[in-house]
Amino acid sequence: MRKPKSVSFQIGWNACINCGACVAVCPHDAGFISPFDTIAVDQPCDIACLLCEDICPVTTITHTVVEA
Amino acid sequence: MQENYDVVIIGSGPAGTTTARIAAQNNLKVLLVDKKQELGSPIQCSGAISHHGLVSVGVSPEAEFIHEAIYGFDILNEKGDSKKIDYRQLKPDTYGAAADKNPLGYVVDRRRFDRYLMTQAERAGVEVWLKTEGLNYEVTSDGNCEVQLRRFNQELTVKTKVLVGADGLQSQVGKWAGLTTHIKLAELASCLQFIVDQVETNGLLEIITGHEWAPGGYAWIFPKGNGYAEIGLGVARTMTEQNAQWHLDHFMKNSFFKERFKNSKILEIQGGGVPLAAPLKTQYADNLILVGDAARHVNPITGGGLHTALSGGWIAGNFLGDFLASKVPATAENLKRYQDEWLVALGNKMWKLYGIKSQIFKTKDITKRDQMLYQTMSDYFSPDSEFKKI
Repeated sequence: MRKPKSVSFQIGWNACINCGACVAVCPHDAGFISPFDTIAVDQPCDIACLLCEDICPVTTITHTVVEA
Repeated sequence: MQENYDVVIIGSGPAGTTTARIAAQNNLKVLLVDKKQELGSPIQCSGAISHHGLVSVGVSPEAEFIHEAIYGFDILNEKGDSKKIDYRQLKPDTYGAAADKNPLGYVVDRRRFDRYLMTQAERAGVEVWLKTEGLNYEVTSDGNCEVQLRRFNQELTVKTKVLVGADGLQSQVGKWAGLTTHIKLAELASCLQFIVDQVETNGLLEIITGHEWAPGGYAWIFPKGNGYAEIGLGVARTMTEQNAQWHLDHFMKNSFFKERFKNSKILEIQGGGVPLAAPLKTQYADNLILVGDAARHVNPITGGGLHTALSGGWIAGNFLGDFLASKVPATAENLKRYQDEWLVALGNKMWKLYGIKSQIFKTKDITKRDQMLYQTMSDYFSPDSEFKKI
């Protein structure tokens, strides 16, 4: 499946263990983070590599497509 | 009025606090900031560190932060065949529980440990601000830099000669300077661990290898004091369709230890990313150096990051003492000396370990790969290992 151009991330906060692994694999410049040591959820991601979803130990990151 | 410091450190984990303490002992004016209100949590670490790793950087093993003393290792393969490396038997004159002997290492409580290290830094003269996050930094025309901080919702700027990024795996400080700090998916182990009751341990760090249980990583059972244990594992998500949580469940329910785990009760859930990666190629920029997880000062074979954080902090703190006394400008070119010193003391061995690790995990044949990892782990923890001080 072709990766979308731009996505918006949602985090299931109930399962999130605030480990920061999603931020550690994120190729964005500084600042694509939330106050809870996760990737940003308040701005679209135009890289859409989705590595953050893969690394999450508890698989609690999902996305909606902003631009296909 | 804007405060001036010799060194500002962002991140008050083991690397940041050690850098701070040693820099202060070198007569530098140091500010250490951390965005948290309590250090050490959420815990993302098993807490294992060698006795040598503590005392070599001037930290005495204190009951305040020790969960349990460790005397050796038990390395298991995918079938459960065990190779015990118990230093109580191998070197009984040195290692043991008796008063005139030492443990080989400890499992520490990261909440207490990080706070203890911060206390030692404060006692050495370091100023500490909690609830303070770093926002950015800017090199100024006088050769220093300004660091923008937010402290209890108040934005402020402090001036410093060198900024130290000790802000962990998810480091933003390095990115401020344009350094490439993100880790490849294949090289960040996705880890999960449970602190459990009713699983017996015997003073050994148990390391369980094998693709069946932890593809691209390993599983562990560590003593956690008071009869508790921690059971965890790390996996490379490029080598499995399942997440760490699924693998930990599989390991606990289906492995050769399933009877041992049968009555285990989960007390805490912890997790994180552990870089099984090479050290960062560039750990410095103008008026800036990185230390600890932020510089990927993590052992690529074991994933151990406590000793390497403390040692890196010790190197950074002493380097900054000499460097700032010499009055040379804190340009990237001059700060490269920090990385050079670190490479000689520690980094070159870590690069070598990274080479070994890469050889293992690029082996396609699973049986062969499992054998290689088991052998490497067994050698690594043996008394004649060339890497035993890492």
